[in-house]
Amino acid sequence: MGLGLLSSRTLLRSGKLRPGIFTPLLRRSIVSTSELQNAEAAQAQPDSPPPDLPKRTPVGGARVHFPNPEDAIEVFVDGYPVKIPKGMTVLQACEIAGVDIPRFCYHSRLSIAGNCRMCLVEVEKSPKPVASCAMPALPGMKIKTDTPLAKKAREGVMEFLLMNHPLDCPICDQGGECDLQDQSMAFGSDRGRFTETKRSVVDKNLGPLVKTVMTRCIQCTRCVRFATEIAGVQDLGMLGRGSGEEIGTYVERLMTSELSGNVIDICPVGALTSKPFAFKARNWELKGTESIDVTDAVGSNIRIDSRGPEVMRILPRLNEDINEEWISDKTRFFYDGLKRQRLNDPMIRGPDGRFKAVSWRDALAVVAEVIHQVKPSEIVGVAGKLSDAESMMALKDFLNKMGSNNVWCEGNGPSPNADIRSGYIMNTSISGLEKADVFLLVGTQPRVEAAMVNARIRKTVRAAQAKVGYVGPATDLNYDHEHLGTGPQTLKEIADGRHPFSSTLINAKNPCIIVGAGVFERNDKDAIFSVVETIAESAKAVRPDWNGLNVLLLNAAQAAALDLGLVPESGNSIESSKFIYLMGADDVNLEKIPEDAFVVYQGHHGDRGVYRANIILPSSAFSEKEGTYVNTEGCAQTTVPAVPTVGDARDDWKIIRALSEVAGACLPYDSLTAIRSRMRTVAPNLLNTDERQPAIFSYSLKPESRQEMSTVPFGTAVENFYMTDSITRASKVMAQCSASLLKK
Amino acid sequence: MAHLMKNLKVPPNSTSREEARKRTFDFFRLACRSIPNIMEIYNLDDVVTPSQLRSTVASEIRKNAHVTNPKVIDMLLFKGMEELKNFVDHAKQRHHVIGQYVVGRKGLVQDLGPKDEGISNFLKNFYSSNYS
Repeated sequence: MGLGLLSSRTLLRSGKLRPGIFTPLLRRSIVSTSELQNAEAAQAQPDSPPPDLPKRTPVGGARVHFPNPEDAIEVFVDGYPVKIPKGMTVLQACEIAGVDIPRFCYHSRLSIAGNCRMCLVEVEKSPKPVASCAMPALPGMKIKTDTPLAKKAREGVMEFLLMNHPLDCPICDQGGECDLQDQSMAFGSDRGRFTETKRSVVDKNLGPLVKTVMTRCIQCTRCVRFATEIAGVQDLGMLGRGSGEEIGTYVERLMTSELSGNVIDICPVGALTSKPFAFKARNWELKGTESIDVTDAVGSNIRIDSRGPEVMRILPRLNEDINEEWISDKTRFFYDGLKRQRLNDPMIRGPDGRFKAVSWRDALAVVAEVIHQVKPSEIVGVAGKLSDAESMMALKDFLNKMGSNNVWCEGNGPSPNADIRSGYIMNTSISGLEKADVFLLVGTQPRVEAAMVNARIRKTVRAAQAKVGYVGPATDLNYDHEHLGTGPQTLKEIADGRHPFSSTLINAKNPCIIVGAGVFERNDKDAIFSVVETIAESAKAVRPDWNGLNVLLLNAAQAAALDLGLVPESGNSIESSKFIYLMGADDVNLEKIPEDAFVVYQGHHGDRGVYRANIILPSSAFSEKEGTYVNTEGCAQTTVPAVPTVGDARDDWKIIRALSEVAGACLPYDSLTAIRSRMRTVAPNLLNTDERQPAIFSYSLKPESRQEMSTVPFGTAVENFYMTDSITRASKVMAQCSASLLKK
Repeated sequence: MAHLMKNLKVPPNSTSREEARKRTFDFFRLACRSIPNIMEIYNLDDVVTPSQLRSTVASEIRKNAHVTNPKVIDMLLFKGMEELKNFVDHAKQRHHVIGQYVVGRKGLVQDLGPKDEGISNFLKNFYSSNYS
């Protein structure tokens, strides 16, 4: 077109053609092309992307799930055609096409708010830019994300956000990992025009875990939506309007929810940060190690951020099947217990009752001597809540070699049944809970026992209006539930069909029954399980395609212990024992131990067990060793060492292997691979890490139990959510939480 | 100091193992006689006792007890003599003495003693540290 104009000018100047004569060729210096001539042909041909561009892959290597493959629609993102499922928003379509659109208020797991306006993109045939997070993608839409209009929109939004944002970057904990910093560098303009004074907001006290600097808040409302939707508490809200908007609790309340720490991750700016981590480190000095949480049986995936020998903070890792992106407060903040009350030297209790630090040689020599003076039937071993599978394997092997079969794990009760796997794991996997439509909770309070399982149940209740029936002591769950009763009598009524809830169960498509591991400690455990199995049969909960009969475990070590076969010979072997080996076991009833018994405590914290111990052998905590843990749904995962061991401590299984050699009953493995191949001969599923191994046989193989059910109502297995094991009991932050945040 | 000057000139190689053995013992005696001097130079009275230093020297010599070649023994003695001369001449400093020959010498008596003969590699590594 330009050339035509040029040629007409030269022709006019040359004087050959006088102006005034109508020459259509010169006046209209439009170059004519075939598209202009043929209007229909142009519309039918879409702009095809230049053939040499690489194929676009979704952002972050995500997979796209098409629930209805016939319903896929095609949109064009920056000229590139992409197929998306129906119902997706423009932002999600761009994500599939590989374009990451900046956003502050949108989060894939929360409802859509659309109030930050940072995700504005240009859509053809639309008078103004659209908020891509809220606009559903229609077929044939042409989305443009890199036009000058979209860029100007982003710069403008950034300018507005930064107007009232304080200049806190040097003192803000979020510096280095702040969405506002990153997006202003990438999408903001280089200069500001703000010359007035900024507004400031008073800080709110949300408890000992979440530090608030509300001046930095950009009112994205992510925290409000998280608290109402996922945590189930309606603590936070937006007060006021316009520039006077404040996020807070309207009354002076602390955030008592067990998921309150996740708002720290969700907040894109430094308004909500971690109080224990305040001013401690910058994110670029930290080394992240991917590991597993051991405070409860869920096995949430975490990332331990450490600086040198110290754990600085714990962040969640994405695992869609287990914990999505959230972790409970206990998991997030208990790490300061790893620095207190640590055992770092072997110690022997002298005749005056005081401990004396000795060398490993002497300590192991003393233990070996004592163990040979005792009869095999008087040797007892107890594995603790935080023991990994390798150390439990070594303990069982060693004690079996010494002639004793009284090894068990805490929390499994006096007579655990490890034969049928489906009797002690969560057969509906944690992600499978989303498909259930009726829940029956028996003797379990998932909110304090396994917070992530509770979050999943709440997600199902919200999304599918699932019904929840609860049998146990009065407790508050953050979703609507029916309190059916407090004791086993209610279970009998449901099994016989006399209870109104039985009909709900029978009519359910996917019923899910969850029994808590607190039932293991009861004397009538078999009777209760047989009643529950009757209920499951009448509700058709166990089918080839759906197994709804679950057990919710309490400790990280229980499932692996039962997989490895840590079942004691007799239930009350402690009262008649002379040699007790406590491997991190603090919940053993110390009164039951006889006065003349020799107690060896092998652990990492000086908790309850050491008060009765005669010898202390220091071992490493979960953040310092590579151990295999099986979670409540039967998925084996390994922790990775993030920090070096404290003092003279050793790994648990290494101590037992060294002890076996000194005692003359040498175990046949001396490296991690060797002990793992030994584990493979016993329980091969422990080696398949990150894979959930479902149970093959159902309860129908169990023999009939003739036990009488007692009328004692169900109790609470977890009294204090914040202090459940040796590390959490040693933590100052957990002590503050249990003092201020527990509901009295 | 004076007795060290004698060994300045490099002696010819020892002809046999017995002569090398004799030279080793002479070196050890030389070192032990210089120890009070070294303790005075570097003010080690509060840090170690002469007996501990003697044990340290002995263990260093014992570390190479497995060597049989007289020429190699001569070379090791030459290097040992050089170290000793450095310390006696105050060419090294206090932190060298302490760091190289005082700290971390707990295993002196237990160094390859009779009770360690029957234990496996695993147990030896276990006693020393968690990461071996």
